[in-house]
Amino acid sequence: MLTLKNVSVGYTGEDVVKNVTFSVARNENLSIIGPNGCGKTTLLKAVANLMPFKGEIEVSGKPVHKMSHREVTLKIALLSQLSGIYFSYSVFDTVMMGRYLHIKDKFLGLPSEEDRAIVLKTLEAMDLSKEKDRSITTLSGGQLQRVFLARTLVQEPEIILLDEPTNHLDLKYQIELIEFLKQWAQHGNRTVIGVLHDINLAMKLSDNILVMKDGEIQVHGKVSAVVSDTLLKQVYDIDVARYMRESLKIWEDLRP
Amino acid sequence: MKVKIIIAICASLVVLIIGIALGSVNIPPGEILAIIRYRLTGVEFAESINNSTAIVWNIRLPRALLAFIAGSALSVSGAVMQSVLRNPLASSFTLGVSSGASLGAGIVILLGVTLPVAALFTLPLLGFAFGIGTIFLVVAFASRVDSQMDNNTIILTGMIFSLFVNAITTLMSALARQHIQQLVLWQMGSFSMRGWEAIYILAPVAVAGVIFITHFNRELDMMTFGEQQAKSMGVNLKRVKWILLVSSAALTGSAIAFVGVIGFIDLFAPHIVRRIFGSSHRYVIPLSALFGGTFMVICDLVARTIIAPRDLPVGAVTALLGAPFFAYIYFSKRAKKAQAR
Repeated sequence: MLTLKNVSVGYTGEDVVKNVTFSVARNENLSIIGPNGCGKTTLLKAVANLMPFKGEIEVSGKPVHKMSHREVTLKIALLSQLSGIYFSYSVFDTVMMGRYLHIKDKFLGLPSEEDRAIVLKTLEAMDLSKEKDRSITTLSGGQLQRVFLARTLVQEPEIILLDEPTNHLDLKYQIELIEFLKQWAQHGNRTVIGVLHDINLAMKLSDNILVMKDGEIQVHGKVSAVVSDTLLKQVYDIDVARYMRESLKIWEDLRP
Repeated sequence: MKVKIIIAICASLVVLIIGIALGSVNIPPGEILAIIRYRLTGVEFAESINNSTAIVWNIRLPRALLAFIAGSALSVSGAVMQSVLRNPLASSFTLGVSSGASLGAGIVILLGVTLPVAALFTLPLLGFAFGIGTIFLVVAFASRVDSQMDNNTIILTGMIFSLFVNAITTLMSALARQHIQQLVLWQMGSFSMRGWEAIYILAPVAVAGVIFITHFNRELDMMTFGEQQAKSMGVNLKRVKWILLVSSAALTGSAIAFVGVIGFIDLFAPHIVRRIFGSSHRYVIPLSALFGGTFMVICDLVARTIIAPRDLPVGAVTALLGAPFFAYIYFSKRAKKAQAR
């Protein structure tokens, strides 16, 4: 489905992602983890065709550089981290923007009944139906994150790239979101690639994990096969496993 | 929304009629409509209003229409620049259009250059060419130094070119002081003595420009969320950016070529429209044209009547009237929102 061969990406001549090679099959979910600045976001941007890169990225066997931007966007959608909102749009209009390439009326861009139905259904799935006419400038960070996720979903891509999708969400929505994404990928025969800071959520989203440090892949494979106490300590420069076990103990003690 | 739009159109027509009616001789709206109907359809009117025909048809109507069209063009251009550059303070002037047009006007006024074929239109033609030429250079330069055409690169390049071009105009003014007053007056902006010829040229450009830019309403909406977000939704960012920057510069360039440099309206008109009608560019673009045009007619009316028979510079009136109005609309709503919380 998606293959990266010797991909390097950088800013002003310096590579932030170095010589990365991996592939993701259709219907497979992948979590990418690693410390701040290790190149996770940059890697997603290159895959989404938002940054120039060296090496080769293929989608369904076709090199991205031989595809038009339109073709790439119809197959791959990216949910970026939140940035400032300068102008006010309704939740419905904001999510409808995700239908840009699907809307047939090219002059004024008026959506069809089908486009409206897809947007309304996604708003419902994101628990945003009641907010559909509200201005996005009045929403909380968590609501805004769900609006932008809904906008990415209505693009109906084959591969969805999520950069910190659980940021700003409370625990309930974090867990629900991960469950929703797994089902969305499974039912639609799609692929989800998520950059996540929370290792627990990363493991919940997918069986497969890719661990990065300093722009390079440390390990890639099944969580049970590749993740170890030593690896996490080496990547994060902290005893992650010990911290997790201590947290678990607190929960055990809280048991009624 | 529909009701709001209908009210806005009616208010605009009323302002246009008032803009024609008031002056050294006040002409009743009924007479104005009769004269316009006569000129357009040939339907005769009462002999008693014959005296007003020349004032309405040859002076007031073209002047009001020119003010409306120039205000529309400048406001639409401002709306585009703010959204494309994702900067609420951006305008065509940020990218050097007025500096370029002033240089073109300076060459005509200070150096006495005349085009052999179209002597009468030398000033507007050179003003337009230099205005749009400057923005073309700015965008081309920004695209060369930064292949991604980042907004900050474009704004900074615009500032550099503006300062450079302004310096050339200042040097020319210093060397040809006898014509300096004429250049300063041109830079202040005015709608007097332009006649129908200017409208025949400017109206098609403005109408086509507004329709063309409205066609890009969805791209403009998406670009307000940031370049990468727009691109990740499928917008061909570089192409769309080029098209929108150049077409909005053409709107500004053609307006200021005929009426001089009139600032501020392009900054505040789109903000007022967004406050009243929301941010969707499907409405923002045509309604900025309507609001900007209407406001410019009011400004011109004030400019030519407040200390009649002298004309005040319209550029100054737009800011004098617009700044308090802008502050009231913008900050009173914000204060109400804060109180509600």
